[in-house]
Amino acid sequence: MLTRDFLHLTSSAILTHKLRSFLTMLGISVGIAAVVILTSIGEGLHKFIVAEFTQFGTTLVAINPGKTSTMGMSMGVFGTERPLTIEDAEALSRLSFAKSVVGFIQGNAEVEGNDRTRRTTVYGTGHDFPTAFSMPVSSGQFLPDDDPRAPRALAVLGSKVRDELFGNSNPIGKRIRIGGDRYRIVGVMESKGQVLGFDLDDTVYIPLARGLEMFNRDGLVEIDVLYHEGIDEKKVVAGIKRLLKSRHGREDFTITTQQQMLDVMGSILDIITFAVAAIGAISLLVGAIGIITIMTISVAERTSEIGLIRALGGRYSQILLLFLGEAVVLSAIGGVVGLAAGIGIGQLLSLMIPALPVHTPWTYVVLAEVTAVLIGLAAGVFPAMRAARLDPVEALRAE
Amino acid sequence: MIGYDIINYGWKSLRGYPARTLLMLLAMSISVASVLVLTALGEGARRYVKDEFTSLGTNLVIVLPGRNETTGAGLNTMMGVTPRDLTLDDARALTRHRSVKRIAPLNVGAVEASWQNRKREITLLGSTHDLIKIRQWKMDRGRFLPQMDWDRASPVCVIGKKIRQEIFGPHEALGQWIRLGQHRFRVIGIMASEGRSIGMDVEETVIIPVASAQSLLNTPSLFRILIESKTRASMQSVIDFAVATIRERHHGEEDVTVITQDAVLQTFDRILTTLTYAVGGIAAISLGVAGILIMNVMLVAVSQRTAEIGLIKALGASRRQILRLILTEAVLLSCIGALIGFSIGIAGSWGIRAALPDLQAYPPTWAMLASFLVALLTGLLFSLLPARKAARLDPVLALQRH
Amino acid sequence: MIRLEEIHRDFQVGDQVVHALDDINLEIGQGDYVSVMGPSGSGKSTLLNLIGILDHASSGRYFLNQQNVTDMDELEESRARNQHIGFVFQSFHLVPRLTAAENIELPLILAGIHADQRRRLVGEALETLSLTDRAEHTPDQLSGGQRQRVAIARATITEPTVLLADEPTGNLDQHSGAEVIQTLEALNEKGITLIIVTHDLKLGNRSLRSLEMVDGRIVSDHTQ
Repeated sequence: MLTRDFLHLTSSAILTHKLRSFLTMLGISVGIAAVVILTSIGEGLHKFIVAEFTQFGTTLVAINPGKTSTMGMSMGVFGTERPLTIEDAEALSRLSFAKSVVGFIQGNAEVEGNDRTRRTTVYGTGHDFPTAFSMPVSSGQFLPDDDPRAPRALAVLGSKVRDELFGNSNPIGKRIRIGGDRYRIVGVMESKGQVLGFDLDDTVYIPLARGLEMFNRDGLVEIDVLYHEGIDEKKVVAGIKRLLKSRHGREDFTITTQQQMLDVMGSILDIITFAVAAIGAISLLVGAIGIITIMTISVAERTSEIGLIRALGGRYSQILLLFLGEAVVLSAIGGVVGLAAGIGIGQLLSLMIPALPVHTPWTYVVLAEVTAVLIGLAAGVFPAMRAARLDPVEALRAE
Repeated sequence: MIGYDIINYGWKSLRGYPARTLLMLLAMSISVASVLVLTALGEGARRYVKDEFTSLGTNLVIVLPGRNETTGAGLNTMMGVTPRDLTLDDARALTRHRSVKRIAPLNVGAVEASWQNRKREITLLGSTHDLIKIRQWKMDRGRFLPQMDWDRASPVCVIGKKIRQEIFGPHEALGQWIRLGQHRFRVIGIMASEGRSIGMDVEETVIIPVASAQSLLNTPSLFRILIESKTRASMQSVIDFAVATIRERHHGEEDVTVITQDAVLQTFDRILTTLTYAVGGIAAISLGVAGILIMNVMLVAVSQRTAEIGLIKALGASRRQILRLILTEAVLLSCIGALIGFSIGIAGSWGIRAALPDLQAYPPTWAMLASFLVALLTGLLFSLLPARKAARLDPVLALQRH
Repeated sequence: MIRLEEIHRDFQVGDQVVHALDDINLEIGQGDYVSVMGPSGSGKSTLLNLIGILDHASSGRYFLNQQNVTDMDELEESRARNQHIGFVFQSFHLVPRLTAAENIELPLILAGIHADQRRRLVGEALETLSLTDRAEHTPDQLSGGQRQRVAIARATITEPTVLLADEPTGNLDQHSGAEVIQTLEALNEKGITLIIVTHDLKLGNRSLRSLEMVDGRIVSDHTQ
C-alpha cells in the first residue's frame, strides 16, 4: 500500500464522522494547550531569572565567611569568629586572574539629607563595584579609588533614595548624614529595580572601611571577585581557595560561582516546570483515553469493512496501520490545534499580565507535537490490534 | 416511567457496551482522582508549613534590628546590621511589660567545633534558659542552659543530635569539653531530634549562653530578640511596647522591625492556598476533557441506537422521556466515574501520607465537593446535545434505519 | 487448479464439536462453472470461505494453482487472496464512505499499485460493466444491481483466477439478479473459474457442474 493511498483511506474515515473526529481532536488539543501554556510560563520564568542573575556578569565568584551549612546558606554571614577582612580582599585583588575585587558589608541605617530622613540599606563597598556588577552611575561618579583603610567620607545614592530625599534637584556635592556620620554625595546610581526581592534602588553606597566602622564590625559579609574572561572557572576557585586557606590556616569560607547559582536555580525551576507540565498532562492522558474509546467504537462499527479488506487481500499489518494511522492523524491534528491555542493563549496572558514572563521555545513546540503523535500511536495500538486480529469470516458476517 | 426504571434502563445501556463504558469511567475517575490527590498535596504542604510555624512557639513576637521603609521586613533587613546595636540591655528592657511571659535574646554565627581530632563547622546559637520553652524544643539527655545572669559568659553548651554523632561518635558526650573557635565549653545537654523548624536545623546546632556567643563572635549586637506574649490578645500591646521601648532607648530612632509569626504564616498560608487552587484548577481541565469524551460517546450512542430510540418513541415515549433517558445515562456514568475517582483520590492521599508522614495530605473539603459537583455537571452539560438530538429524532425515519 | 484433499473443518460450539466440513475431496478445473447448493448450515459458506483462504481447515490439504495453501503464512495468504481470488457477497459489502470507483480500486491499493495504473484499470472495469457514469457515486446512491456490479468489478480488478459468489442475487429483485448472473457468466466465458453458492435451484441448474451439500458432506456432484 502506498503512503498517499494510506493517507487517503485514513482521512476518508476521519472525515465521515466529522463531529466525532472533531471532539476527539478537541480532547487532545485541550491537553496539549494546557501543557504548552504551563511549560511556556515555566520557561519564561526560567529565562527571567537567568537574566536577573547574569545581568551582573557571569565571571563573578562570591566568597562568604563560614562553611555552607545544610540550609544552603552560611550562618557565617551573621557572625563568625574568623571573619573575611579588608586585607583578605586586598590579597585577592593581587591574584593574576582577578580583574576586580569588591568587598561588602551590608546594613541598615538612617539617612538624613535635605531636611528629610529615610531608613535604607547601606552598602559598604569599594571603587570597583560598578564594573564588577555592571551597575553604572547615572550622574556624578562612583566612590573614588581611595586608600581602602582610610577612605574619604563620600557616598553614592541609589535612585530611590535620591528621589525620596532630593526629589528632582541635583544631590551631587550635597552633604548627608548616614547613621549619624557626615558624608558628601559624589554620584547617583542608575535605577535597577527589584532583583530577586532586593530593592537595589533603596540603597546608599559608602566606602567599605567606613561601613565597617559604622556598623562596628571587623568582618565583611561578602567578597566578590570578577575574573578575566576566558579563564577556567575551576582555576579561579582553586586559586582563591589556596590564597584564603594560607591566610586563615583553614577553609572557613564558602565560594559560590555564578554558574553554581544558575545551576541550582535552573534545576529547581526545571523541576517545577516539569511538575506543572505533568499535572497539565493529566488532561492529555484523559484525551488519550478519548482516542482509545472512539477508536474502539470505530473498530466495532467497521467490523464488516475490516472483514472485506481481509477478503480483498488486505494484510494484518495493513489493517493495523490503517487504524493506527487514524489515531495518529486525529492526535497529530489535535496537537497542532492545541499548540496554536497554547501559544496564542500564552501570548495573550503575557499581554494581559505583563509581569508574567512567557516563552515558548521551538524545542517545546516540536516536543509537544511529537508527544501528541506518540499519544495517538499509544492510544491507537489497542483498538488497531483488535481490528487486525478480527477473524475475517466472523467480521464479514457482522452487519 | 419512574425514576428507578430510568436508571435501570441507563444502567443496562451502559452494560451493553462494557469497553467504552469502562474507558469513560476511567477518564472520569482519573480526572477526579488527580484533583483530589493534587489538592491533598497542596493542603499537606500548607499544614506542614503551618505546623512548622506553630513549632516556632506560640504568641511569639520577634524583634530584629534594621527597618526598611518600602519593603518592611523584607530581604533587605535580613542581615540586621545597624549603626546602633540591638543589645542585651535592650532585651532586658523589654521584660518590663506585664504581658511579656518570656524573653530570649539570640545570636547566630558559624564556628568550627572540635573534639580530640574531629572537627566540623557548626551553627552557633547564643541564647538564654528560656529559649527552650519559647521554641518548645525538647531535651534528649542532660539539661538546657541554666537560669543565670545574661551578661555572664559561662563555658557550657548544649549540642544537637547530629553534632553529637559526628563529633563524639560512640563516646559519651555529656561532660566532655568541646572546643568552639578559640574557647572550650562543657557539654551539659543533647537536644532531641524533633526540633526541626524553618530556617534552622537544631540537629546541627550548638547552643551556648548569649554572653559567651557575643564574645566568641566578637559582636555586641543581638541577631534577634524572641518574646513570648502571655496571651494572643496581648501580642499587639507587646509589639507596640517593644517598638516604643527600643525607640526610646535608641534616642528616638526607630531602627528595629517587630514581627509576629502570624504575619509570616499568613503570607505563606495565602501563597500555598492559592497554589492549591491553581494546581487543582489545572488538574480540573482534565474533567473538561472527560466531559468532551462523554459527549462524543453519547453522540455515537445516539446515532447507533437510532432504531432503538425510534422504537421507544413508537411505543409512546415522549421527547421529555427520551431526553431524561440519555441524560440519566450520562449522569450515571459521571457519578460512578466520580465515585471511583473519589476512592482512588482518597487512597492516593493515604498513600502520600504513608510515604511522607510529615505531610498531612488530606484532600480539602472544598476540593472533594467541587470535583464531585463539577464531574456531575460536566456529565450533564456535555450530554445535553446528544440527548436533544435523540429526543428530536423522527420516529418514522429512525425506524427505517434498520 | 483447486484441489481439496480430505478436508475437515470442525467448530467448537459450547461443549459440542460441529463438523462443518466432513472429509471433503474436490477438484475444480480452470474455467469451470460450479454451483454449490444445499440447506442452511450444510457447510456451503464454510467451503467457500475455505477456498477463498478466509478460513482454515482443521485437517486436510488444499492446493490452489499447484500451491499448497495449508503451508502459507499470513502474508502469502493475503497476497493469494488479493491476486487469485475474487469475492462477491450477498450483502455487497461496499465501503459506504467510498465512491464506486474507490471501492473498485481497493484491492489495487492494497496491492500497492500506482495511482495512474489504477485509474486506467478502474476506468476499464467501469466501462465493461457500464458503470462509468456512476463512478463518483457512493453506495447509497446506487441501486442494488449497480452495487453488486460494483462489487463484481472490485472482485475482478486484479484479474483473479477464481471468483467466489455467496448468494450473489439474494438481496436483488429478479431483473437485477438476472443482470448480475449474466455478468458473472460472461466473466466465466472469458476463462475465470466461477463458484456460486446459492439456494436458488434455477440459478444452480444454469451451471455446468453442481454440488449438493448436506451436513458438511458433498452428497452429489453432478456435471451436465
